[in-house]
Amino acid sequence: MSEIKKIINGCLAGNRRDQELLYRRHAAKLYAVCLQYSGNDEEARDILQEGFIKIFENLDRYKHEGSFEGWMRRITVNTALEKFRSRHNLYRVDDIDQIQELDAEPDNTDYAGLEANDLLNIIRELPPKYRMVFNLYAIEGYSHKEISHMVNISEGTSKSNLSRARVILQRRVCSYTGIKKKFAIG
Amino acid sequence: MQLDNRESNIDVVFRNGLKDFEVNPPPDVWDNIHLVIKTKQKPVLFISAAASVVILLGITFFTYQMGRQISSAPDNTVIAINNESVSSETSPSIAGPPIASKESKQVSSNAAITLKVKRDNKIEEKNLLISSPEVIVFPEANSLALNFTERRNSPVLAIFNKSQKNAFRMNNTDLQYTLVNNPKKVAERWSVAAMASPTYYSHFNSGGNEITKQLMSTEQPVISYSGGVAFSYKISKRVSVQSGLYYASLGQVVDGINSYTGFQKYGYSKGDHNFEVLTSNGTVYTRNADVFLSATGSTGRINTNYTSDVFDPNKANLQYINSTIRQNFSYVELPVLVRYKIIDKAIDFNLIGGISYNLLVNNSVYTMVNGSKYTIGETEKLNPLSVSSTLGMGMEYNFSEKLSLNIEPTLRYYLNPISGSTGTNVHPYSFGIFSGFSYKF
Repeated sequence: MSEIKKIINGCLAGNRRDQELLYRRHAAKLYAVCLQYSGNDEEARDILQEGFIKIFENLDRYKHEGSFEGWMRRITVNTALEKFRSRHNLYRVDDIDQIQELDAEPDNTDYAGLEANDLLNIIRELPPKYRMVFNLYAIEGYSHKEISHMVNISEGTSKSNLSRARVILQRRVCSYTGIKKKFAIG
Repeated sequence: MQLDNRESNIDVVFRNGLKDFEVNPPPDVWDNIHLVIKTKQKPVLFISAAASVVILLGITFFTYQMGRQISSAPDNTVIAINNESVSSETSPSIAGPPIASKESKQVSSNAAITLKVKRDNKIEEKNLLISSPEVIVFPEANSLALNFTERRNSPVLAIFNKSQKNAFRMNNTDLQYTLVNNPKKVAERWSVAAMASPTYYSHFNSGGNEITKQLMSTEQPVISYSGGVAFSYKISKRVSVQSGLYYASLGQVVDGINSYTGFQKYGYSKGDHNFEVLTSNGTVYTRNADVFLSATGSTGRINTNYTSDVFDPNKANLQYINSTIRQNFSYVELPVLVRYKIIDKAIDFNLIGGISYNLLVNNSVYTMVNGSKYTIGETEKLNPLSVSSTLGMGMEYNFSEKLSLNIEPTLRYYLNPISGSTGTNVHPYSFGIFSGFSYKF
């Protein structure tokens, strides 16, 4: 029996040590996912908490097919999505019309020197709807059709949200790298 | 144009850049998770854990000694269940003196609550993680409230009042529910009881045989005793199965049989017994060579070679003992019973039913002389194993959670005749009031 299988079985039997082991092994990676899906730390923490509770509650449904990490990630993303859906009315997306003009700009951004932490911060600064669509499309690999069902928006909105998210990200990356370069030179 | 591509450059940058990124979560997240999954797994053991917000609320509430009750919110559906909400690190201190109208306190910790929610007639189980609930005390209204934000961000007000004991009534915009904190531990499943009873024994003649009827007219039931140890195992809240080991003796007095002693010197004994006495439970053979028996009235009751025309006990100067003989049968019983609890209060009422397997361990016939037994013989051809059915009513007074006094009027009926001889069809029954103590563990 593989080690992860042993740990899962231990969790299913209610063994506290295995439960904690499972959490300790995967919490940091999943917390990064939660942060990526949420603008504030408190919410990210809630997503992690609720996501893990669901992971433990549904462990018996994991069939040991496919990556366990992927399975946990899907649950975490779904938890983030649920949270998003329950409160998306509260958010207002910034008026972004001016930015739209930048859409066509060729992507010659210099990505060098950006660390994961910078990328995370940049993504978290996105308006929630853009962030959700960008994450689902670019990171998780869902199609616009799937996203339209998941987020309860039209496919067109999903597409436009994605392109706006990309534009904002590009701009932020530029300013980030610019600052970084300045500091490097200075 | 890049927009039409499945992938933009920036997508790849972010995906690859964040691929294996890790950030350590806040340290208390695990405690909260563990709390919830533990609650789900082992609700019973949860009571002792850390500090329970709900329990504390309960304690706080009852220490206020409130007399009045408030009416509960209308249309709330009542649902049962579970323990326990617990703060992860700090025990929330919410006790304090009651203040005129209300007192509000923010509890700076998280709490996990498992509750069942009735929605559209379906009961769903929910795990709630409450962060920083506000505790509002309404001393005048005899209630406490928990104000917190649920997962979906709709504010929830949980009201706690005396009439509901450990219940929370919760109001939500689209659903209404009640959380009942269940303080009652799952009762111990095993119990052992020592019981004893005086037993009144008699029998039915189900065959309607004329001779048996005649025999029975001279036979009197006697009070005897039975007792033993019973074990029971609780299957559900109301049903338990019971077994054990009992010792029971049945008996009867047969009138009109005169017994004399001193026969041995005349005993030209042939075969293994001198006298046979017919009873409804079978034929008694004398095993004591010194005993002489004669019947008053019907002479047909005793079979012997020493009939009155052959031998006169008075002329032979035998010593007269008694005009009755006693039959005794002792059994070791193995009951298989089911108890069903009808009333579950301070005094519980149970219906008890089942069967017992009875193994014959002693069979004797004797008469009494100056208060001691004088052995005559034994009853022949008894069934070594008999089966009886039991029907009883058990009253159980609980001194504590563990110890109780039991009183059980019990009727038993022997399903097969006590005697294995063909022709006799006498089914004994007995009635006893068993009493004793039981201990649960």
